[in-house]
Amino acid sequence: MGVQMVQLEHVTKEFDDTNVVDDLNLDIKAGEFLTLLGPSGCGKTTTLRMIAGFEKPTSGKILLNGQQVDEMEPYKREVNTVFQSYSLFPHMNVFDNVAFGLKMKKVGKEEIKERVTKALKLVQLEEYGNRKPKQLSGGQQQRIAIARAIVNNPKVLLLDEPLGALDLKLRKQMQLELKHLQQTLNITFIYVTHDQEEALTMSDRIVVMNKGKIEQIGLPVDIYERPQTRFVADFIGQTNILEGSVTEIEGDMARMEFSGQTIDIPKTNEVTQGEEVYISVRPEKMKVSSTPFDSSINLKATFKEKIYVGSVTKIVVTMSNGKELTINEFPDKIEDFTETSDIYVNWSPNNSVVLKK
Amino acid sequence: MRPRTKKLLFSFSLLVFLFFYIPILFVVIYSFNDSKLGTVWTGFTLEWYGSLFQNSQLISATMNSLYLAVITTIISTILGTLAALALHRYTFIGKKSVEFLFYIPVVIPDIVVAVALLAIYGILNMSLGLNTAVPGHVAITISYVMLVVLARLSSFDSSLEEAAKDLGANEWKTFWKVTFPLILPGVIAGALLAFTISLDEFVISFFTLGPGDNTLPVLVYSMVRLGVSPEVNVLSTIIIAIMFIVVLVVGLRMRKRGEVK
Repeated sequence: MGVQMVQLEHVTKEFDDTNVVDDLNLDIKAGEFLTLLGPSGCGKTTTLRMIAGFEKPTSGKILLNGQQVDEMEPYKREVNTVFQSYSLFPHMNVFDNVAFGLKMKKVGKEEIKERVTKALKLVQLEEYGNRKPKQLSGGQQQRIAIARAIVNNPKVLLLDEPLGALDLKLRKQMQLELKHLQQTLNITFIYVTHDQEEALTMSDRIVVMNKGKIEQIGLPVDIYERPQTRFVADFIGQTNILEGSVTEIEGDMARMEFSGQTIDIPKTNEVTQGEEVYISVRPEKMKVSSTPFDSSINLKATFKEKIYVGSVTKIVVTMSNGKELTINEFPDKIEDFTETSDIYVNWSPNNSVVLKK
Repeated sequence: MRPRTKKLLFSFSLLVFLFFYIPILFVVIYSFNDSKLGTVWTGFTLEWYGSLFQNSQLISATMNSLYLAVITTIISTILGTLAALALHRYTFIGKKSVEFLFYIPVVIPDIVVAVALLAIYGILNMSLGLNTAVPGHVAITISYVMLVVLARLSSFDSSLEEAAKDLGANEWKTFWKVTFPLILPGVIAGALLAFTISLDEFVISFFTLGPGDNTLPVLVYSMVRLGVSPEVNVLSTIIIAIMFIVVLVVGLRMRKRGEVK
């Protein structure tokens, strides 16, 4: 650990005069599980394709294990990719698919057999060597695609939304398997996804991207608990964004005026008096009651609806300014609210994340 | 489907097949006919099968036809496949026009190609021979190969090529290990088309062959002006049999590879 495996320096990629990736700087450590997370079109896949060598950056440098590679052909780079559509060779059986990379490197026959068998065993498909890819289920094809990549002992494994086509249950299972695989093999994983839950589950670090730029880099807990921009707060999980201005700063607390009410907020991000800010509060940090809270935060709102989603129930309330808040409560803790009845919302000031405009 | 519709469709299909195959059946039957006149059935014989192989004119015309078809198929398949790959993979100025130019030979009458070639040979003062028919044959078959291969390529997933390169295969290996095996059914279909078109091509051969050189269609044409000889029936029967076997073998092999469902 600690060694920089992949370095992107001022990498820009232009397509038709728009910067799909815009002046990106990123260092990825050896053995790290790093996720590029963002909505479609944010440049995460293009970034991955530049590391793989399928796209050349318009400007900037890419270093792989200290060596500059941005002009190097993909077949000369010590990285392997797991493609979104798996891209298994349909005319070869599973064994030959997995052996392809080793054959290209002219590895001896015996060694190929040994390493392919080992790789297939690792993905629990050692019995399937003679099958054709289309005789396998989606999940099995996925595992073969992973085996085909890791059999080459790449320095870096690139994964482009590899679980996107699987059903939810299989996806959850594969997430953990991939994470364990990465820890066993100690290979650097660069993982692209638009699924924030997947990113939080698997990653050592997450890079949140938007419009070709990095919004925030951090540990999953940082990204979720301490988003630095409104985009990150909004994109990762569900959140309530409240907009107001700072009226008072006192010690390490501040107060914000918000649609006629004043609430306490933490004094973070060097807010100044009179500044317009957003605060983000997660639905699970909020509480509701039909009676007022004895607290500095006691927002009055009207009940709109409740939505049962299994583990929690979402309560939607309308504030006096017409905007809605969503609060997650455990189903057994919910009072009987009737439509348009008054409802009070409370949260601890420390659970507000202050975001600059 | 309603029973009446079903019956109607069945009889219609039957009529179409009869229309196709009855003349061919007659050719096969009359290749065993004892009569020299070929229009009246007089009895069974294998005599014409023997005499066919004594007929040096027919044999040499057959060899010429096969020679032309093989050369044409090789040239057209290679060039047509390369053209399809270029059109599929690269974007260049005038790509649409180039693609359009490839469609022209499919719709242009053979007679135009024949006359044009003859005119060029005249200008260049070239003497006509067997090989002077090759450019014409290639010109009319290359587009078919290109179109068939291009159709195959359009369903080709180019991320497979990326996967091959990702796994260490250079351009050359990627083509031979991944791209080519996957477009091969299209290449074979294109080659078969080129071969058949060249084999029974008449107009261009008639115009551009040298005086002493005959292909099968040209020879048969000159023979039938004096009445269809039983040997022509025998020859047709053999060709039908060969083509039948070729199509059958290719079809079975493709089914085995899972290409035809």
